[in-house]
Amino acid sequence: MAKPKFRREILVAALATFIGIVVLPCLNAFPAENSFFHISNYSINLYGKFLTFAVLAISVDLLWGYTGLLSLGQSLFFALGGYALGMHLMLLIGKLGQYHSDLPDFMVFLGYPKLPAHWVPFKHFWFAACAVVLVPGLLALVFGFLAFRSRIKGVYFSILTQALTYGACLMFYRNDFTFGGNNGLTDYKFLLGHDLRTASTQRGLYICSVLLVLAVYAFSRWLTTTKFGKVQRAIRDSENRVLFSGYAAANFKLFVFVVCAMIAGLGGALYVPQVGIINPSEMDTSKSLEAVVWVAVGGRGTLVGPIIGAVVVNAFKSFANRTFPDYWLMIEGALFILAVLFMPGGIVGLPAQLRGLKRKKREHENPVLIAPNAQETVDLPDTLPDQADRV
Amino acid sequence: MKSKISWIPILISLVALVPGVVAGAPATSAAKATSDAQALKQLAQAIASESEADQIALTKALAATESQAIKKGLITWNEGGVYLYDSGTAKIPYVLEDAVDADGKQKADRVDTGEALKDDKGQPLLFVSSDLTAVDTSSGLRRAIQTTLDMLALADPDPQARRSAVMKLGMSQKQIYIPLLQDRQTKEKDKTVLAGLDEALALIGLGDSDPAAQDKAIRRLGEIHSIGSRQLLSTIANNPNSPNAKSASASVKLIDEHISWINFYGTLFRGLSEGSILLVAALGLAITFGLMGVINMAHGEFIAVGAYSAFVVQNIFGQGLALSPFGMNVSIPGMKLTGSAFDCYFIVALPLAFISAALVGLLLERSVIQFLYRRPLESLLATWGVSLMLQQAFRLIFGAANVQMISPSWLSGNVTIDDVGLGYNRLFVIGFAVVIVIATWLVLTKTPLGLLIRAVMQKRDMAACIGVRTERVNMMTFALGSGLAGLAGAFLSQIGNVGAGLGQTYIVDCFMTVVVGGVGNLVGTVCSALGIGVVDESLQPWIGPVMGKITVLAIIILFLQWRPAGLFVTKSRSLEG
Repeated sequence: MAKPKFRREILVAALATFIGIVVLPCLNAFPAENSFFHISNYSINLYGKFLTFAVLAISVDLLWGYTGLLSLGQSLFFALGGYALGMHLMLLIGKLGQYHSDLPDFMVFLGYPKLPAHWVPFKHFWFAACAVVLVPGLLALVFGFLAFRSRIKGVYFSILTQALTYGACLMFYRNDFTFGGNNGLTDYKFLLGHDLRTASTQRGLYICSVLLVLAVYAFSRWLTTTKFGKVQRAIRDSENRVLFSGYAAANFKLFVFVVCAMIAGLGGALYVPQVGIINPSEMDTSKSLEAVVWVAVGGRGTLVGPIIGAVVVNAFKSFANRTFPDYWLMIEGALFILAVLFMPGGIVGLPAQLRGLKRKKREHENPVLIAPNAQETVDLPDTLPDQADRV
Repeated sequence: MKSKISWIPILISLVALVPGVVAGAPATSAAKATSDAQALKQLAQAIASESEADQIALTKALAATESQAIKKGLITWNEGGVYLYDSGTAKIPYVLEDAVDADGKQKADRVDTGEALKDDKGQPLLFVSSDLTAVDTSSGLRRAIQTTLDMLALADPDPQARRSAVMKLGMSQKQIYIPLLQDRQTKEKDKTVLAGLDEALALIGLGDSDPAAQDKAIRRLGEIHSIGSRQLLSTIANNPNSPNAKSASASVKLIDEHISWINFYGTLFRGLSEGSILLVAALGLAITFGLMGVINMAHGEFIAVGAYSAFVVQNIFGQGLALSPFGMNVSIPGMKLTGSAFDCYFIVALPLAFISAALVGLLLERSVIQFLYRRPLESLLATWGVSLMLQQAFRLIFGAANVQMISPSWLSGNVTIDDVGLGYNRLFVIGFAVVIVIATWLVLTKTPLGLLIRAVMQKRDMAACIGVRTERVNMMTFALGSGLAGLAGAFLSQIGNVGAGLGQTYIVDCFMTVVVGGVGNLVGTVCSALGIGVVDESLQPWIGPVMGKITVLAIIILFLQWRPAGLFVTKSRSLEG
């Protein structure tokens, strides 16, 4: 039974990848500008951005949907990854900046005599690339170690991660924190010898984003099917039982937390060259919550859900922001409430939910003493975390 | 005790409302007006005198009138802005008005009566200032004018002004003022002014050439902890030739000790008041989150609901309000009150803020939260959605910019106790916090509702079994918590900006306060709020407000390592306790 399902999944994934990597970039590159099939540079850029959000959403889902840890610090890790690559990009601008100095513009503006020591190694791409995963990973390691060691869980974990993000956000807003303060890092020109302002580079970045989503998806898919994944879900459903069975739940949680921070960092690193700016508003606590909305809308506890959620919600957001800018927050808020209250399985869970409703209706009309497939209805992520945990 | 102090301004404003007191005022001011008129007449006489000796003598005599009305004329005279008009029979001194008409001419006012200068036919006279020559003043006369001005300042009816005049003379360190101040010392009754006179005389004594007299002055300044003289004293202390260097350095040390005490008490006071702000803001959350376990991310927006209610009430008392929410036009007429009647808006706003926030809370509980009691993480997400919607609603109703709040007069200003400045609004927030904490405690422990709340929160199923309508109790509890948030908002509107983002500035701090205090424990919330406030305020002078805040967050995270369940743990045998 599992085999054909798996094969179908591979087929769908291959098709999506083909469309993502070959069809869309070709439609961007080859048809004439005014042709019906043409996809504008702006759109390709936008899709690339959505896909990096999808990476962020997967990291949220691995924590929340699979381990029951609602982390409100994922946007911080995303932004840290972004800052790490942004620093490299800043140093590549060279003398092309406003002040024609070797120093990045904001440093000239703030009167730095020379490049701060921790900026120097970022001249090398490989160092920046390592920092993209290691900086978020290290922070997650330290914070996670402290939090899980003292068995902080549930909402306390959420509130603490939110506080961490809030503190970091305040820190990055400071001008003397050497990361550009309020304005952040911007005005990038090159990456690995390619001009970031050309359509072909942006197309390349978009393709990288598709590949990253694919890689992260495949990794998460593999991780959740291993025995580790089972323990992960067991922690979600009843941490105490896992503890009593002799597992060190804290270590499992710490591992997932660090991995998810790294994944978010990777997403952030691809986000920055496509958007062209990184500033502290990216690590605002509301951004973390937004990522949670994508997962909730898409369907948590699944891996396709976050991708669908991130793309759909963001596509809708960019549409709504143009059409009725005043009401977007209202819509987002309402969407969130509705998703939480009425769609526990999100978009992905919707068919099963509808099937369940239909069956209930049928049973209501001609009651059967023993429902034949009663077990299957629990297929929804309805049994998710806290209900079971909190009596 | 501090709460008592904060009520003084309210009492004062209430007393001011009593009509009898108001009616009494015109009689005294009428008596004063005659003496002012006489003094002005004397001033005019002095200006118009022919000889300089007469002018000086008359000017000096003016000091005896103690009239504040002649100050302006004296200053203008000193600055060369007084002119003489020869009406044929007499010379009339006058000053020019500021306003210049189209021809470059200015109206003239008589110095003695303040009325417009008119010619024989009763027409107001107009002058071009460049055509005129001002009444000349010699250096001796100018000195006399200045002395008279100083003496008049010493006689100012306002003790505050009198004290600052005394201190000004003291800081000038001129020996000539000694008889002036000593004379004042015999007449003065106000305590603060007397202390000021003491300090001023000692300050002048510092310049005394007699070492013994200087030593006395130095010791006196040290005894009374005169902060203003620290600079002068340390100059003497650092002068090896001075015979009094030793006693001066002893005095400096005394003053420094005093300053560090002042800083300590100032920090403590600011910390307590900031802690009270936190406490007021977090108390509602201590109930909804601490007792009920609902993660209400919209708590901040309930605070904003309270603040906006205060804003609306303020405008109803004042000029009225025109809003255009969602394309509609709503205009609320105002009562156009002023003075202390207007100041009362705040008293009315407090209960209204409570009620409106409680109603919004009730609505939220019925529509969203009642489905999520067993799913705390989901309640976090859904209420965040609510918070977004409310924020946008505020923007659409009240505009994106911050709204203008006018504090009641008895909330602005401050009182200085032993060199520590205490702002009335800060004092009031401490008193307010004490009052609402006690009120909440009374509600929870001494009322039937409180009994039900505690029963349901401790063992919901058991309470339901013995017939408690848990649904209704949930509703009431959530409304109570929301109402407290609204109450906080009404108060916070007097301290910070009121805008759509108001709630966001408090939400993280509020959650931190409740978590640190220990969930489900009011005493814990009180302790943690005050603790966080004091720590934050003591860190701020060293590392600045932003770093202070970050450090506090870091301290909290580390603190939770030590006590994961907060300061006060509610003991329970439950596995998930």
